[in-house]
Amino acid sequence: MKNFLIFLLLIFGGLFSAIVLKKNSDSGKDTRPVLKVFAASSFISQWGPGPWLKEAFEKTCECRVEFQDGADSTILLQRLKSEGRTGGADVVLGFDQYDLELAQQGIEWRKLSLEDVDFDERVRSVLVRSPLVPYDWSLLSFVVRKSDFSVLPKKLDDLMKPELRGQIVMEDPRTSSPGLQFLLWLIQLKGEEKAFQFLAAFNQQLHSYAPSWSTAYGLFQKAQVKTTFSYVTSPVYHLVEDKSTDVIALEMAEGHPAQFEFGGVPATCRNCELAERFLALVLSKEGQKVIMEKNYMFPVVNGVQEGTVFASIPKYKMTELSVIPSVSDRERILKKWAALRRGE
Amino acid sequence: MFVAFFESVKYVGHLLPISFLRVFLGYYYLQQALARFQGDFLTRPRLAAQIGEALPNLQVPDWYRVFLETVVIPQWQVFAFLILGLEFAISISYILGYVVRPVALIGMALSFYSLVLSGPQYEDLFKTFIAIHFVMAWIGAGRCLGMDYYFFKRRRGIWW
Repeated sequence: MKNFLIFLLLIFGGLFSAIVLKKNSDSGKDTRPVLKVFAASSFISQWGPGPWLKEAFEKTCECRVEFQDGADSTILLQRLKSEGRTGGADVVLGFDQYDLELAQQGIEWRKLSLEDVDFDERVRSVLVRSPLVPYDWSLLSFVVRKSDFSVLPKKLDDLMKPELRGQIVMEDPRTSSPGLQFLLWLIQLKGEEKAFQFLAAFNQQLHSYAPSWSTAYGLFQKAQVKTTFSYVTSPVYHLVEDKSTDVIALEMAEGHPAQFEFGGVPATCRNCELAERFLALVLSKEGQKVIMEKNYMFPVVNGVQEGTVFASIPKYKMTELSVIPSVSDRERILKKWAALRRGE
Repeated sequence: MFVAFFESVKYVGHLLPISFLRVFLGYYYLQQALARFQGDFLTRPRLAAQIGEALPNLQVPDWYRVFLETVVIPQWQVFAFLILGLEFAISISYILGYVVRPVALIGMALSFYSLVLSGPQYEDLFKTFIAIHFVMAWIGAGRCLGMDYYFFKRRRGIWW
């Protein structure tokens, strides 16, 4: 018993000393405030815009920028709700327009002053929807290799041709934002009943449903399929990286759905003034140029695309955003989609 | 003591697989404890948040719920220090094979606490941990390739 008590005493004594030593050594370290930015992995990875924004901001802010990988938007929202102020998120990036309702349930956001930002006309329509601010966007379409087609599809019904059977890969709308965009776009175009009738036939044309955009696009890049649903900016990637003009985004007669990515400053921020300055950098022309070039998405402000390869992208017709379905309505639609997939 | 450490293989060699399991578990606890020490377990109310989140769904007696709410959550720093200290104690004890029996009882208590507070996805893990700690205590796992053999040989008793 005596040995046991001495052992415990030594362990706790050692731990106490270690804590004191750690505190002393930490106090001599960097004392600048830390700006915590929660963002998607693609944003903060070395090929994303995160590292440039961090470097540029740290030059002027007298602070350190720390990125936290937010995985996906659902997990990010859960973390924000459960951790609140203790989580320490100052800036959050990576929601799309369908996350806005969830993002405002139980989380308060700071109202940002955006008077000085010269937003693109097509982005202004989403600004009024929430206190969160869009920082990039793109239209979506079917991306193809011109060389695979003698006649390019021009409307959705053209995708039902026999030569495309098993040649289309789509994203699962339950796990992927482009997949959800396609499903809701279809419902907006055709109405729910007809959209599901179309889907029942369209599913026969598919190679598979991929869990994410990257998996679907990977299959397209490896030429295992002839087309996938992606961003109209995706061909720019092939133009820049592969010097290839063979990949194009189809221009659909029905128009194209848009995806906007949003960011914001939660009311529980610790370095709120720095957070707002960081978002201002994200929305500045320099920041937008980097986001455009690294994320392959359109900038939300005017005067950035001009003189770049992005200016050569044709002006696709945007399907106007109708009412965004509520979370419960979306769940119902996804359940219906899953039932259709199971063949019920 | 050094001679006794290796001599134990000769006399209680049948416990060698158990001592491997003991050292492995000690290493696991050491990793856990070091990650917590280097992270923010002691500086941020992670423990309080974890208990706060688990409380509404906890199937525990009322007195324990009150204890968690009124004592542990407000004093989270003291309890975080205790938990971390006990994890270090388990890890060092298991790796050295010293005072394994009483420490295994602490390990059971700590695993039970984790079982109550963690979600269902960790239920099997912590139940298995409780069973392993119990076996360690029952067998006296520090007697093979451990310092406990030295004391067991000289003093006997239930502590070794």
